[in-house]
Amino acid sequence: MIWLTWRQSRTQALSGAAIVLLILAGVALTWPGLTELARTSGFTACQADCQDVADSFLAQAGDTAAAAVYWAGIAAMYLLPALVGLFWGAPMVARELETGTYRMVWSQTVSRRRWLLVKLAAGAGAVALLAGLTSLAMTLWAEPIDQAYGNRIGPIVFAARGLVPVGYAVFAFVLGVTLGMLLRRTVVAMAVTLLVVALAQVASPLLVRPALAQPETSTTAADFDRLQGLGIGGNDAHVELEPSVTGAWILSNRVIDTTGDTFKGPVDPAECGPESKQGMGACKEWLATQNLRQEQVYVPQERFWALQWREFGILLALTAGLSWFCLWWIRRRLA
Amino acid sequence: MTSALETAGLTHRYGRRTALSDCTFDVPAGRVVGLVGPNGAGKSTLLQLACGLLAPTAGEIRVLGARPASGSPRVGFVAQDTPVYAGLTVAEHLRMGAHLNPSWDSGLAERRVSQVGLDRAQKAGKLSGGQRAQLALTVAAAKRPDLLLLDEPVAALDPLARRAFLQGLMEFTAEQGVSVIMSSHLVADLERVCDYLIVLCESRVRVAGDVEELIATHHRLVGPRRDPADLGGGRAVVEESHTDVQSTLIVRSSAPIDDPSWQVDRLDLEDIVLAYMSEAAAGRLRVLEGQR
Repeated sequence: MIWLTWRQSRTQALSGAAIVLLILAGVALTWPGLTELARTSGFTACQADCQDVADSFLAQAGDTAAAAVYWAGIAAMYLLPALVGLFWGAPMVARELETGTYRMVWSQTVSRRRWLLVKLAAGAGAVALLAGLTSLAMTLWAEPIDQAYGNRIGPIVFAARGLVPVGYAVFAFVLGVTLGMLLRRTVVAMAVTLLVVALAQVASPLLVRPALAQPETSTTAADFDRLQGLGIGGNDAHVELEPSVTGAWILSNRVIDTTGDTFKGPVDPAECGPESKQGMGACKEWLATQNLRQEQVYVPQERFWALQWREFGILLALTAGLSWFCLWWIRRRLA
Repeated sequence: MTSALETAGLTHRYGRRTALSDCTFDVPAGRVVGLVGPNGAGKSTLLQLACGLLAPTAGEIRVLGARPASGSPRVGFVAQDTPVYAGLTVAEHLRMGAHLNPSWDSGLAERRVSQVGLDRAQKAGKLSGGQRAQLALTVAAAKRPDLLLLDEPVAALDPLARRAFLQGLMEFTAEQGVSVIMSSHLVADLERVCDYLIVLCESRVRVAGDVEELIATHHRLVGPRRDPADLGGGRAVVEESHTDVQSTLIVRSSAPIDDPSWQVDRLDLEDIVLAYMSEAAAGRLRVLEGQR
């Protein structure tokens, strides 16, 4: 059974391994240069007020091959689940049902359940290994870059580091197998798998992850020296301050008035706005007298691993549920 | 000795469509059984029930004395259209068989592949229909099952490949003493190899029995027109047709027909099968007319 599984999946396994090796090669080749750059730019040794050093490190790194590896790594971690579900998971059972070969293989001395169990376990194991290796390499390699950007817990980078990519890849694989088994058509199963994986990848940072992360709320007196955006039109105003928390995933950042509602004006036209002759300074001073506060809802970067484990756990539970369903279905319902 | 295949009230439905209804018969082991019937009669359903790919909706089925389950070492199955893995070579099919079957007879497999002239390095997707059927039969045979089920294995083959396939099958069954159940919608395919026949029409078993016995007990009677009910006990009318003055009956009768007013003819297997099939079709017509 293991030989047959390997024989039938070796194209996908070898293609996957080739992509992963390409990324690993890029990582290996740029690693010494990146470490050296972090050291010479002073970022490695920096202890406090590192923003300028970090920016210069990032600017220098942006001119090297490391930039390509960085983006390729993120793209790979997002594409890998879709590719795995599409080309590995979806055809696995659907093709057998479509071409009728299931009738050949199920009349060998192997039970359907064992047949599927070996295919699921071997496939999921291989997928986890490929995704895990890539993610491990990228997580370690990109550590200085992520630190300099301070966005490791941010919605995009988060799903390309640590355990979560492994969870998505394994989930997408088993999802593909399940859909292939239910839909019984390879192409249809591939299309639906792609759709569901993409939806999961988009829905997770928007809907699921904020709920998992238990974000914190900080409310501080508004400091208008950090004014980032100001829009005034008639009686309405829109005020935006630069976030004061660093390295966090900021879910919301708004200026509120004493009642706790978002400040929307009105502003004194003599101090602020197009008719005012006194410039920006007067407007800031006027805003500072309005008793406004800055409210930030954010996930601090220290939560990174806790959040990784939670999301990974959910994906793993979904994967286990789908696998159990497949093994039940193949015995009870599938003919 | 246990039966090769035994059913009682066996019924299978696909949703609302009944493919097999209330089938009860008993096939002894050690026979080469022909399962014949028109397309859509339920032959594939019966065979897939027998190898455990389908589960019955109602009734009992026992294969070699046990409830069928896919993955049984004792039952070999060659499915309709003889599916093989297009991307695997002939040699890889044998390797698959060896990996998946503890009872694999690699000597038999190698011998058969050489005998039928399959190229081991050839991808199965590139084989002709006849070669594909031979490969599928080889994989099923080398498993060394006690019962081999074949679902219309020669339906798509040209006459030459058909003969070669049946030849191979006969050699194998003679060598191994295995029970075989093989379906076809053509009696001619079965006549040469089978010694037991099941006629399946419209999801029901019309007749099942030893071929020699079927031929010995079926007669065509031609005589002056009369009511078939007058024939007497122990005789069943399979098919009847009447003109104004003459009646033609096909009857099943274990006792010889000694009424001198009948002209009695022997029937060959094809005539018998056709009689049962056309009777089934006529029965359907009668039902339709009754509904009107």
